[in-house]
Amino acid sequence: MNRSQRLLQRPLVSLILGALALPLLTGAAPTNGPAADDWKPPGGRIGYVLWDEYWGIRETADAKEECPQGFNIGPREQFAILYPQNGKPHKLVDSQLAYEADVWFPTTKPDRFEFHEATGKYALGIDLDGKNSPEDFVSDDGRTGIDNELFRVVGCVRNYRKEGELGIITTKWRQQNPFNRVTFELTNVDSLKNDPEVTVSYYRTSDHLLSGTTGNFLPGGSQRIDGRWGKRFTATTRGRIVDGVLETDPFDLELPEWALSDPSIIKFKGTKLRLALTPERAEGVLGGYADVEQWYYAMNTSWATHHAAYGQASAPSIYRALRRRADGYPDPKTGENTAISAVMDIKLAQVYVIHPDQAADRPTDMPARGATN
Amino acid sequence: MMRSLIKSLLAFTLGAAPWFAMAATPQAPAASAAPGTEQYESVPMPPGFQVVVSELEGPVFADASGRTLYQWPVKTLRNGAVGERKRQPTCDHTKYRVNSGLMSPYPPGLELPEVDTRPSCLDVWPAVIAGSDAKAIGKWSVIERKDGIRQWAYDGNALYTSVLDEQPGDVYGGTFRRTGGDAPGERKPIGPPSMIPPQFTIVPSLAGRMLVTSDARSVYAYAKDAPGKSNCLADCARQWTPVLAPAYAKDRGEFSIVQREPGIRQWAFRNQPLYTRVADEKARTQSGSDVPDWSNVYTQRAPAPPADFTTQDSVSGIVLADKQGKTVYLYNCGDDALDQLACDHPDSPQAYRFTVCGAGDPQRCLENFPYVLAAKGAKSNNRIWSVMQIDPMTGKRAAPGQPGALSVWAFRKRPVYTMFRDSKPGDVQGDTWGEFYGLRNGYKAFWLRDDFGNGGE
Repeated sequence: MNRSQRLLQRPLVSLILGALALPLLTGAAPTNGPAADDWKPPGGRIGYVLWDEYWGIRETADAKEECPQGFNIGPREQFAILYPQNGKPHKLVDSQLAYEADVWFPTTKPDRFEFHEATGKYALGIDLDGKNSPEDFVSDDGRTGIDNELFRVVGCVRNYRKEGELGIITTKWRQQNPFNRVTFELTNVDSLKNDPEVTVSYYRTSDHLLSGTTGNFLPGGSQRIDGRWGKRFTATTRGRIVDGVLETDPFDLELPEWALSDPSIIKFKGTKLRLALTPERAEGVLGGYADVEQWYYAMNTSWATHHAAYGQASAPSIYRALRRRADGYPDPKTGENTAISAVMDIKLAQVYVIHPDQAADRPTDMPARGATN
Repeated sequence: MMRSLIKSLLAFTLGAAPWFAMAATPQAPAASAAPGTEQYESVPMPPGFQVVVSELEGPVFADASGRTLYQWPVKTLRNGAVGERKRQPTCDHTKYRVNSGLMSPYPPGLELPEVDTRPSCLDVWPAVIAGSDAKAIGKWSVIERKDGIRQWAYDGNALYTSVLDEQPGDVYGGTFRRTGGDAPGERKPIGPPSMIPPQFTIVPSLAGRMLVTSDARSVYAYAKDAPGKSNCLADCARQWTPVLAPAYAKDRGEFSIVQREPGIRQWAFRNQPLYTRVADEKARTQSGSDVPDWSNVYTQRAPAPPADFTTQDSVSGIVLADKQGKTVYLYNCGDDALDQLACDHPDSPQAYRFTVCGAGDPQRCLENFPYVLAAKGAKSNNRIWSVMQIDPMTGKRAAPGQPGALSVWAFRKRPVYTMFRDSKPGDVQGDTWGEFYGLRNGYKAFWLRDDFGNGGE
């Protein structure tokens, strides 16, 4: 069971304690009426800032369940096979540059290397398309129709697993680089336990995370909406809260993903959230159809072949698998799917969202500008 | 956004200081440099050398012909170091035939492109020869090389010129700008110290030479100040901190001291009182220039790009763009031989660029990373921007009158490009495209401002 499932199934008492704790931490007083486990956020409004993310890979002990054939080899190993150092000299154009040409302009021709896709019955995720297809997974808590084909593609690539450099660095930069700062704000919330209709807005925000002394991230911080550079990220959808779990209608979402050296963006279509909410945090999954080309090039511009080699992530092999496993948004002309179902395992901390028109909360020299609700 | 755009364009236009090159006699300060160009401190120089104020890099040392002087600093790459230590020049007549394997994951021993015509290091970086009567002075000294050549050095490091530089003020062989950890082991121009008080330093960028405090806080000027008089008082001064001058500080060059009130002395540059901004969260930022009437301070602005260009807001900052708003990209390249020769200009092998723009196919490159074409008769009013004639199939300079040649815009004698995946103004899909994040064989957006710390590299 992963951490999201654990949270989603955790005892009610924990939720209650969390609800009781928040006013102490933040000074936000519960409104009149609702019981502690049925808390209404002040003004019906609560924000959550993203601070932790991993691509949704259900990892089992020694990867025996999902990667029975082992992990994939990466650029270094592939290059050594393609261009063995057996005394025969190689030209840089025919070897290094030929490999880089495959990285930047990949094809769907048959791979020269065996590629191990992740297998099994179970995966993290959400039913994105409302169907229960043969290739769909089952979640650990028994939900069917789970769409997460990206799990098949990168589940056996070390870089994408929790031991991998990508996971570590991506999360590190998610926490440290404001380029990546995104916040969800729920409004029209009458109850954080059950509410048939809430509004979920998504913003790029500008502030550092509120961190604790032990490396954890605390509720009670604030996030100003980035109206200067972040307008394109703003999105809104509707959702509902059932037994403390938020589920949203599908919406398109762009996730800023600065990794090692690049302002990359992951584009999700038909995105859904499934988050267990407490007054101080949220955990769960973000699922959607990731645009394949965008996902691939964001990977390449974020991970040079050198760094990808650390995590044995072969871009040309991954591209073929992406195209093979793409399962959404067919191209109207060719019929080929342009997007792949994907899931991010995410954690968020409660924040107060500062809108540009909240003059009292910004420096007096700063003009109101940019995105609003 | 529109206000910012206009402001940026205005800044470029107003900041288009005329390029100015001047020869200074040894020991003579250049305090009379052209308006808008950076002043520098007088330093002792041997006869035959001079200081030239270049368009983008500011003051640089040059030889008697005006050719900019360069050094090759030691730089640690992925699998080892390149460059020269003090008094140990390694740039010689060796014609390397294979790569060095300094940039993983690729091994050494791969035969370099165009190997039979590949020049030596000294072919493209001629040593600055010291005559038999040359004498050390100040930081200038003479090195006896292993090959018997007597070579000038500055601060112990051997000096070279670049075959890319054609006129005084050209600095096409290297840059003061920070170029990134995985960029090649590049040569750096050298120059005299800027004439700035020790409380300040300069950040070189594509927008110009920006003034910051010595602890890297951005320095701003207020449009509502009068010359030599601050009008930022009370609440304003609580948000914009005057940069105070110590009691012993004196006027020097273009820096002067304004009395805010008795005993409170504030630095001014070109008669503009200087401030830092309390709300700045990052070092070397331009974010304060979003506030009406406030602007960053430059000792020297980059020359204005030709009228065919615009500026656009992206998700990370401001980029240069073509007339249609498509982001403009610079191509960076250095090979992996021990002498780290550049492959980023049309006189160098194009196999690297063709790999990352079109999988080796020049035609695909024209579609994926098209040149920014120059209209017939288009001209630049500065040297940093120019029009080049390019053979599109070889990527090299076209012969005069060559059929099919393209007239393209070039920055520092390197063509600039747009990118096929960018669909709307402000898209930067091509930024960091290519080997090692676009630093070693690939593309970087032409960043004029980056609020997230990426554009500097």
